[in-house]
Amino acid sequence: MGAGEGGLTVEAATSEPAAAPRRRRRRRLTTPALLGLPVAWLAVFFLAPIAIVAAYSVDVLVLFPGPHGFTISAWRSLFSDTPYLHLFAKSVEMSLIVSAIVVLVAYPLAYFLALSGTKRKYILLLVLIAPFLTSYLLRVLAWKVILGDQGVINTFLFWTGLRSPEHPLSFLLYSRFAVMLVLGYVWLPFVALPIFVTLETLDRGLLEAASDLYASRLQAFVRVTLPLSAPGLVAAFLFVFIPTVGEFITPSLVGGTGGYMYGNQIVDLFGTGFPDWETGSVLALFLLAVIAILTLVFVRFLRAGEAQAA
Amino acid sequence: MDVALSPNGRRLMRVFFALVILFLYAPIAILLVFSFNSSPVPVFPLSGFTLGWYHDFLTNADIRGALETSAIIAAVSSVGAVVLGILAAIGLTRRRFRGQLGVTALLLSPLVIPLLVLGVSMALLFHELGMQRSMYTVMIGHIVISVPYTILVIRPRLGQIDASLGEAAYDLGAGPLTTFRTVTLPLILPAVVSAFMIAFTISFDEFPVASFLVGPRQTFPVYLYAALRFPSQLPQVIAVAVVVLLVSLAVIVAAELWRRRAEARLEAA
Repeated sequence: MGAGEGGLTVEAATSEPAAAPRRRRRRRLTTPALLGLPVAWLAVFFLAPIAIVAAYSVDVLVLFPGPHGFTISAWRSLFSDTPYLHLFAKSVEMSLIVSAIVVLVAYPLAYFLALSGTKRKYILLLVLIAPFLTSYLLRVLAWKVILGDQGVINTFLFWTGLRSPEHPLSFLLYSRFAVMLVLGYVWLPFVALPIFVTLETLDRGLLEAASDLYASRLQAFVRVTLPLSAPGLVAAFLFVFIPTVGEFITPSLVGGTGGYMYGNQIVDLFGTGFPDWETGSVLALFLLAVIAILTLVFVRFLRAGEAQAA
Repeated sequence: MDVALSPNGRRLMRVFFALVILFLYAPIAILLVFSFNSSPVPVFPLSGFTLGWYHDFLTNADIRGALETSAIIAAVSSVGAVVLGILAAIGLTRRRFRGQLGVTALLLSPLVIPLLVLGVSMALLFHELGMQRSMYTVMIGHIVISVPYTILVIRPRLGQIDASLGEAAYDLGAGPLTTFRTVTLPLILPAVVSAFMIAFTISFDEFPVASFLVGPRQTFPVYLYAALRFPSQLPQVIAVAVVVLLVSLAVIVAAELWRRRAEARLEAA
């Protein structure tokens, strides 16, 4: 008898006498016994909450008692009421810029670690990634301390006399610039990882073959390395884009009004000031939908790549 | 000739790498410096050395309470996530069934949901259920976040293990629980421990979901976030944050080294 799962499929295919396997199967845990609890947990605490948000977004559920019923007016106002869409576009733009810069910086780092044949590449990789494993809030706090009007950079400039205390560089904190800088700082270490993994698995023999065929290093890079590392590149890009487009912590701590993002709007709509759960639900679901579509496209892209390779 | 990098390119890359590392660590180093600086505001020039901020946070009941709350939530939620993760990982690697792709997608989908959206929607769920926000609601939320990570860590390890070991135990008359306890668990233990560590660190540091689900007992990140708005407490907050950072870094590195060694030992055996 073959091993475990392989054995079972073979049995099914060749339709052997099934008495022995059936006896064994009865004594093993059934699939529902194994997967029932995890699936139920996520159904109740992950899918059901999203369904409730959906119910709020169409006024089936409402925050304040009163007449209500199914209506898509909140959805209609999202697409006609341009402030929300403008804010979303602004967040997408900020997030795209951050993702692009971070990937451009991380790619050479990953390339260097994976392909230069450096000894200690795993240790260097750990050094690069370690900041990502530490407190997110703490790293934002660090920049608050550095960028403020009375922060490290400005007081350093006053101290050295390069700038007078009456005129600090005030664009540094509570601005769009601050949000993008901090988001880039926070996500940079993480992004090197997927790129490193694809470059690591790349067959160096391909580069040697390219070189034997008189390709220059640049040609080998453009025609061999870059296309083969595209999945890692796209993954890295999405790994930054997905969490940053709905970001609200960094903008609320270092963004001021200039750095206010779509995520802050959602938080405010569910906040204690002027709660509007219906609109908030619409904005939250819209964000979720955009990200779900991106993820699906990406998974398709990966599968297409695998199919091509195979 | 090196096919990937010219000698000059290599030198350039090395400098670039060093600069990025500097960029990544300098802010953390600056925090460290100011946690020992005697001035209550973090400004240049440095005013003098003190351990006062560390002393202050050790005696600050709010900070200690928040750290304790976070530790309890992280411990409970990571045990929960690991149990669900083991069940799911075994189900996904050792069984073939209809709709497997969909189940896998569901179990991993919390990875990509914006935590803000998850926090908001769980808050609405508990609102509809009439459940008070408390440590338990945060635990439930953190289990949802961590389950996919535990699956991703445990599943590859199960894949490496010969399934016939478990079959052999069945053939010798062991029940499913005995087989798990005596055969499967010892073999996947390194992955289970590292899944636990990952879930623990995620929970301990998690802010977005906790901020929507937290009850009267604040978690540490929720406390930290609120404290960032009161500059008077800044040096204390920096001190405690530095301690948490160093401890978490040490734990992560130690856990990873231990896992590698333990897996190597299991391979050798």
